[in-house]
Amino acid sequence: MLLDPGMDLTLRPMRYPDFYERYRAAIRNTWTVEEVDLHSDLADLAKMTPQERHLINRLVAFFATGDSIVANNLVLNLYQHVNAPEARLYLSRQLFEEAVHVQFYLTLLDTYLPDHDERAKAFAAVEHIPSIRDKAEFCFRWIDSLGGLRRLESQDDRRAFLLNLICFAACIEGLFFYGAFAYVYWFRSRGLLGGLATGTNWVFRDESMHMEFAFSVVDTVRAEEPELFDDKLGAQVTRMVEEAVAAELAFAADLCGEGRPGMSVEQMRRYLEYVADQRLARLGLPARYGTANPFAFMELQDVQELANFFERRVSAYQVAVEGNVTFDESF
Amino acid sequence: MTQTVAETNAGTDAGTGAGTNAGGSGQSPAERRLAIEEAAARVITDPENSRTAARLLAGLIADEAAEHGVRTFSESVAATHAAGLVAERTAAFVAAHAAELDALITAETAFEYFGLRTVYDRYLLRHPETRKVLERPQHFFLRVACGLSETVAEAAELYGLMASLSYLPSSPTLFNSGARRPQLSSCFLLDSPRDELEAIYERYGQVARLSKYAGGIGVSWTRVRSRGSLIRGTNGHSNGIVPWLRTLDSSVAAVNQGGRRKGAACVYLETWHADVEEFLELRDNTGEDARRTHNLNLANWVPDEFMRRVEADAEWSLFDPKQVPHLTDLYGAAFDEAYRAAEAEGMAVRRIPARTLYGRMMRTLAQTGNGWMTFKDAANRTSNQTARPENVIHLSNLCTEILEVTSDAETAVCNLGSVNLAAHLAPSPEGDGLDWARLRRTVRTAVRFLDRTIDLGFYPTPEAEAANRRWRPIGLGVMGLADVFFALRLPFDSPGALELSTRIAEEIALAAYGTSADLAAERGRHPSYGDTRAAGGVLHPDHYGAARSAEWDALRAKIAETGLRNSLMIAIAPTATIASIAGCYECIEPQVSNVFKRETLSGEFLQVNRYLVRDLQARGLWTPQVRDAIKRADGSVQDIPEVPADLKALYRTAWELPQKALIDLAAARTPYIDQSQSLNLFMATPTIGKLSSMYAYAWKSGLKTTYYLRSRPATRIAQTTVAQPAAASAADPDAVACSLENPEYCDACQ
Repeated sequence: MLLDPGMDLTLRPMRYPDFYERYRAAIRNTWTVEEVDLHSDLADLAKMTPQERHLINRLVAFFATGDSIVANNLVLNLYQHVNAPEARLYLSRQLFEEAVHVQFYLTLLDTYLPDHDERAKAFAAVEHIPSIRDKAEFCFRWIDSLGGLRRLESQDDRRAFLLNLICFAACIEGLFFYGAFAYVYWFRSRGLLGGLATGTNWVFRDESMHMEFAFSVVDTVRAEEPELFDDKLGAQVTRMVEEAVAAELAFAADLCGEGRPGMSVEQMRRYLEYVADQRLARLGLPARYGTANPFAFMELQDVQELANFFERRVSAYQVAVEGNVTFDESF
Repeated sequence: MTQTVAETNAGTDAGTGAGTNAGGSGQSPAERRLAIEEAAARVITDPENSRTAARLLAGLIADEAAEHGVRTFSESVAATHAAGLVAERTAAFVAAHAAELDALITAETAFEYFGLRTVYDRYLLRHPETRKVLERPQHFFLRVACGLSETVAEAAELYGLMASLSYLPSSPTLFNSGARRPQLSSCFLLDSPRDELEAIYERYGQVARLSKYAGGIGVSWTRVRSRGSLIRGTNGHSNGIVPWLRTLDSSVAAVNQGGRRKGAACVYLETWHADVEEFLELRDNTGEDARRTHNLNLANWVPDEFMRRVEADAEWSLFDPKQVPHLTDLYGAAFDEAYRAAEAEGMAVRRIPARTLYGRMMRTLAQTGNGWMTFKDAANRTSNQTARPENVIHLSNLCTEILEVTSDAETAVCNLGSVNLAAHLAPSPEGDGLDWARLRRTVRTAVRFLDRTIDLGFYPTPEAEAANRRWRPIGLGVMGLADVFFALRLPFDSPGALELSTRIAEEIALAAYGTSADLAAERGRHPSYGDTRAAGGVLHPDHYGAARSAEWDALRAKIAETGLRNSLMIAIAPTATIASIAGCYECIEPQVSNVFKRETLSGEFLQVNRYLVRDLQARGLWTPQVRDAIKRADGSVQDIPEVPADLKALYRTAWELPQKALIDLAAARTPYIDQSQSLNLFMATPTIGKLSSMYAYAWKSGLKTTYYLRSRPATRIAQTTVAQPAAASAADPDAVACSLENPEYCDACQ
């Protein structure tokens, strides 16, 4: 079984081909930070109001450390306990993607914050900005929740691991990041910060896949050991999601202040609750909030991209291509 | 069923509303903007919201212009002139005819929100300091028309076509007509620099000057020596073309086009150049960044001899142009002979299997969408400009629809405009689809004004001016073909679509050639007419045996008398921006999705296929469930049980149509396209096998050029606003693999 302790090295016969396919699909979507043009955003930043500047500065301060935290949990917990070589291939790839994201946000901060002191302060946000520190502490608590557990022997061990996995997928990648992306797309819906939005598109795409991988691990464990998924676990997950919504909401209050047209704490609350319900539904749990999505601009994220090549780089191209020259295939 | 576009998207009075602050009384500008954005964001639920948003935006624009005292057309030209934006000539013309011109502003333009938004964000003239608009959309159209007119009647004629969205000139003309520096041309094609340092740096300078004024650049690099070639002056060895192209890349990125959009260029290289393999890697996002050019587009200039060797699975020889400088100025049999002779003399740098190189080209297309396949011999063989052996086409342009001769002294130029076919649908379902008489009228007006741009335009370089005044080429194209097919219920791969599309091309060619002959009679032939095939009595369709009707005979006889004012007339450009202004599908392209977002400088815009929505509404099927299902399926209706079979066939996307049909349509219209067409091809998950079959077919079909290969991302963003499938079914690992999040590797439902 997937969570049985050990170091399985056998790829054939492959037990979980889905994980391997996810690994291959991820490779086909490689992107590099050098492809993103962030300098075009500087003109937009220059004309922002102080409240908007504040929002952006807080947001990038969160981004500065968010992906590093995820990468740490991946190494400290996920890689250790998901015992299938094909799943570990995916996690290795995910680790690379987290590194690209870290590099992207490093480049973003270097570009957006030319002042060295301001820049250093943004990187240190986890220590001195309460709304960011609280979110980080939520993450650290769950990183540490497995304690020194080296082997998932008992059912309780495995449930503890599942909570950690679900926390990072549903609450951190699936809620904290989704909240942050909404601010970026709100700016873009007003024609602002196109460079950040382009990179965010790619980060968003990657994060979506990370989340879906984690959920498919949950699905697999559920199929193998359905007895782990008792009411208590469900209640714990719901409580964790509530805590995450509250932390993200405090962050929103810090970012938005009194709010701007189209982006207020109240709207953010509804959006987060809506997203949280989606995560619970994906885990087979009842909706906690029953709130509708208030952000029409997020509808745009669901549909196909048609970039006008004069203006933005098309991000849709695949990386790996297979086959040989022939003349008789249908097209 | 037939409906004109005027009916399908009527109702938006943009720009004529007299500053009524529509729906915005008592609201702050930010709140009004928010109301507009929210209406626009709800287009997915009902396309009607697009008109609501446009109406609100029109009110906002009118009020903004009023802040600088602009209400009438003559006031707007006075204001833009005072701000130093409009030329003396235009200002004087408008001042002299103010009342007559103001009276012309009666038309109501049926803008979609995205069209009006594009006009507002990018085209309306703004005050240099306040950045407030100084004209309304209708003023903008009439200002463009006045910039190209000598009389009020002329201005009225062009304004009428633009205001009804029947015809739009290309963006440079829309940006700059009537302006101080009227750079009106879209494309510039520069011959390869000569193989020497000074020539290469001179070329960078030309590219920069042309780019500054919003032109797209095509430039060949075939004459420049390859890696390892001896440099006599220093007794060292060349590093090949890549370092030069790196410099070009930086230069193109540095010069932004009048502050409006980033510079853009495409580099052409002939397939025998010994650096071709490194050239194909220039856009990769892996490997050494010092050998990458992220801003340049790449195109292969492919001789037939190469394709024949690919077919025969033979060897292909790569040469250093320093050794074989003559090859780039030859095509057809003369090239084949010279190429084989160079091989026989052992001059090749290297030999590789032709299929290995062809496979590399296909891989580049799949990985980057770039490395466009354009065919040197097909481009030259039938061109009106290549009657004399010294006149050779060496490349196409940034969008692969322009084919004109170049040399060191002549930089080819093209002025473009496109007819909106959707605006020419016949008003009643009787007859044969289009209002042919009106289409021809539109073409005649369009050709006259495109010809006018040649004389009125400002040329950033003497090489461009020299070429354009001698050859006087224009590029009239089309947009909205997909709208016509939807309205007439013709799937792209139906025989009816092929027949109609070909007839459209022929009608346009007939009207365009006739008008150019009239212009020649009125104003004289273009100076190099004697060097064209037309002067010898051969028109472009004659090369294909496609001009055998009495009408063509009469036209041929007329041209024998009058000559032609323009050496080339037809080119189908991509029309990305002007199609969104007109609210129609781009040029000859199928739709990419029934629901898609468009990324532009002004943010992301959502579009929904209004023909599909209307059909589904008529059948009571436009429900939230169906809507979500279409979004979940990435804009496809194929696997939605509620959608009837006839609609599934009609509303296939570019990914679902056989690409052979697109190639067949393009091939059938080729006889009437004396330049070329920007033909994108689509393949969701390309493989080398499928691509090599497809491009070999395109070559055999006689296409002169192809454009992007469009493919889809291997993974995708998880949808946030569509209800997720519940986890209950996902507990089964097979069901997980079949998740809609992973369409790329799911065979279960195929």
